Amino acid sequence: MTSTLNRPPVESSSPATSHIPKKAPIAWKHRLSAFDVKASPYFYVAPFFILFAIVGLFPLVYTFVVSLFDWHLLKGQGDFVGLGNFVAVLNDRFFWNSLFNTVSIFFLSSIPQLVAAVVIAAVLDQNLRARTFWRMSILLPYVVTPVAVAMIFSNVFGEDYGLINNLLESFGITPVMWQNETLPSHIAIATMVNWRWTGYNALILLAAMQSVPRDIHESAALDGAGAFRRFFSITLPSIRPTMVFVIITATIGGLQIFTEPRLFDPVTAGGSQRQFQTTVLYLWEMAFFRQNFGKASAIAWLLFLLIVIFGLINFVLSRSIATAEGRGAKARSQRRLAKVRAREARESLRAGTAASVHRKTTLGADPSKSAEPPAERSAK
Amino acid sequence: MNLSRRNRLASGIAGAAAFALLATGCASTGGGSSDGDIELSITTFGTFGYDDLYKEYEKANPNITIKATNIDTGGNARTDAFTKISAGSGLSDVVAIEEGWLGAIMEVSDRFVDLNEYGAEDIKDNWVPWKYEQGTDPDGRVIGYGTDIGPQGLCYNGKLFEAAGLPSDRESVAALFGGDDATWETYFQLGEQYKAATGKAWYDHSGFVWNSMVNQLEEGYYTKDGELNVEGNTELRARFDQLAAGTAGGLSANQKAWDWGKGKAFVDGSFATFVCPGWMLGTIKGSLESGGGDASTGWDFADVFPGGASNWGGAFLSVPTTSEHPEEAAALAEWLTAPEQQVKQSAAAGNFPSTIEAQEKLAEEATPNELFNNAPTGAILASRAEGVIAQFKGPHDSLIQENVFGPALKLLDTGKTKSADEAWDEAITLLNDLVVNN
Repeated sequence: MTSTLNRPPVESSSPATSHIPKKAPIAWKHRLSAFDVKASPYFYVAPFFILFAIVGLFPLVYTFVVSLFDWHLLKGQGDFVGLGNFVAVLNDRFFWNSLFNTVSIFFLSSIPQLVAAVVIAAVLDQNLRARTFWRMSILLPYVVTPVAVAMIFSNVFGEDYGLINNLLESFGITPVMWQNETLPSHIAIATMVNWRWTGYNALILLAAMQSVPRDIHESAALDGAGAFRRFFSITLPSIRPTMVFVIITATIGGLQIFTEPRLFDPVTAGGSQRQFQTTVLYLWEMAFFRQNFGKASAIAWLLFLLIVIFGLINFVLSRSIATAEGRGAKARSQRRLAKVRAREARESLRAGTAASVHRKTTLGADPSKSAEPPAERSAK
Repeated sequence: MNLSRRNRLASGIAGAAAFALLATGCASTGGGSSDGDIELSITTFGTFGYDDLYKEYEKANPNITIKATNIDTGGNARTDAFTKISAGSGLSDVVAIEEGWLGAIMEVSDRFVDLNEYGAEDIKDNWVPWKYEQGTDPDGRVIGYGTDIGPQGLCYNGKLFEAAGLPSDRESVAALFGGDDATWETYFQLGEQYKAATGKAWYDHSGFVWNSMVNQLEEGYYTKDGELNVEGNTELRARFDQLAAGTAGGLSANQKAWDWGKGKAFVDGSFATFVCPGWMLGTIKGSLESGGGDASTGWDFADVFPGGASNWGGAFLSVPTTSEHPEEAAALAEWLTAPEQQVKQSAAAGNFPSTIEAQEKLAEEATPNELFNNAPTGAILASRAEGVIAQFKGPHDSLIQENVFGPALKLLDTGKTKSADEAWDEAITLLNDLVVNN
């Protein structure tokens, strides 16, 4: 910083002497530094975008191209069929079945997962002993590979020899058909997803909660707000951007779920009657069992559009929930403020000594000075 | 400023270099180096019994290192192979191909090396003729050396048979099922008898019984000319009804194939019979091991099969054209499928060889198989192989087996329907969705 401040006089002195041979290199330097300032940021971000173009954008476009053709897995490109593959997929009962399964598993996993993650993060945000230990522990399931998770849970949720069914049977309860019935299979898979991702999301939310200024909490506590009130009125609204991030990544991940249902029954592609065949699994079946790359690409594109739509809906929802919360809090605090003011006006009239009232009340009787900040705090 | 600019430049270069590394890092990393040391990769599936043979080959050929991959089931090996064929890279130097999806491979047989270039013609007479022909494409290119074939015998649990008041020694069991004239009718009748006596299931699940029934027919899901042959196939339908009636009567244990409760179903008496192509003996061995069973569990192997001779499965070793060392790979495939090695493979995996010499040797030696109550499994399989001719497999054969009839039969197994009509209709609907209109 200091060098930049020092330099201008030195540089401005050289044009003043107006030596022509010297001027050219300096102008060159100028141009170079101007170019540097303007262009180099783009160079710094370029590697990501170039990589993205190669591994993200190109496959996206190429998949669309493939989806316009009859394309056999082994035999390669066939006739151009236009949007025929899309029409075929949209008329395919298995596609809709896979969408239902995906959305069902998505709701069964995302909602409990986010609620649990917020609660866990809030607990970890407290003053615990051996804080790092607890924080590391919740991340542990995330370290385990999905394959191992799926294998362990397949044992737990086995139909004939599974842990849960054995327990149920020993209590004389009819065993649950974890793989042959649709809803139980969705619950089993959602459990695997939750097991893996809850801790991860909790940690992200915890990081956001830690950045909420403590003095807001403190002053709210002084104002008499309880732990729950502070959580809903301060913590939640403050971590809104992180919430949006977590919800959107959970949406993208949840709609692309593959490993867990794939390995829940390694022989079939999502259950013998497609009880838990998700859309990605169906895409995979279409491409590698049925060897129809064209239709598989069409499914991929439809899934892409679906994720975009879901992402947008979630974005809007999660924004509006948090703002509604904020608005509600603002309205409530203003109502309360009005009451307090009215009462204190009466009291000050009665007592006649305004100064003592100032000292006693925390919410402040003077509207011009101390009344505004608390209202603002709880609103944001 | 100067310093920071230099830093920026440096970081820019570093970033570009990292990117270049990443970009080139994906390029193929071919195996082997120049000075005669060659690494050959090989992909097999299920229980192949090759591990000791690899070591032996490496010892005999010190310049060759074998990198082996084994995939759990033939179905997953199919996916693996198809994916890599379509990607145009990634296939091992030697790839094991299963008979069920050989039909699909034949459609792209030019992706595999013609083994005639490496002397296939000279060793042609090693194999039973039909096996060699199966590995030959319509243009006469030999794309696979046969490893094993799948003649089927009947596995049964002697202890469970005894408990149900049935005879339990091999000869009596073979006679019980009808000896050379064994029919599926007798098989299901005995099943009902067993079910009435013990209340337990007769076979593990319907799918395998179905595969055996279909593979036994002269023409299966396809005619010899390659035409789809399911809808309106009265022979197929009659067998389906027979199986459906048995399953509806509770003869199926509704087990998950290839899992069997991590092998426990073989140990706890869930079912008393099991259809056994040669290679299945290795599968049972693996299941018994993981399920905590051993020779005392009671499994035995009888020289009889309902409906007569049947061949289910069997594999080939192929060399894809993407191999960087086709000559060495072909030599390895040739060595592994030579009679001498096939005998050793059979000893390790329990499967039945496809070369005549090895078959004769197995029949002659009649080595008792400890796990199967000392049954001479090799000799029994040799007897079961008599009159076996593999059926023509069409391009979608394995898809029809696993994704069309698999789910339809599962409906019966799980009791979601007891009607053969309903299950058959489901199969036809699936066939139309997955194969006809795909």
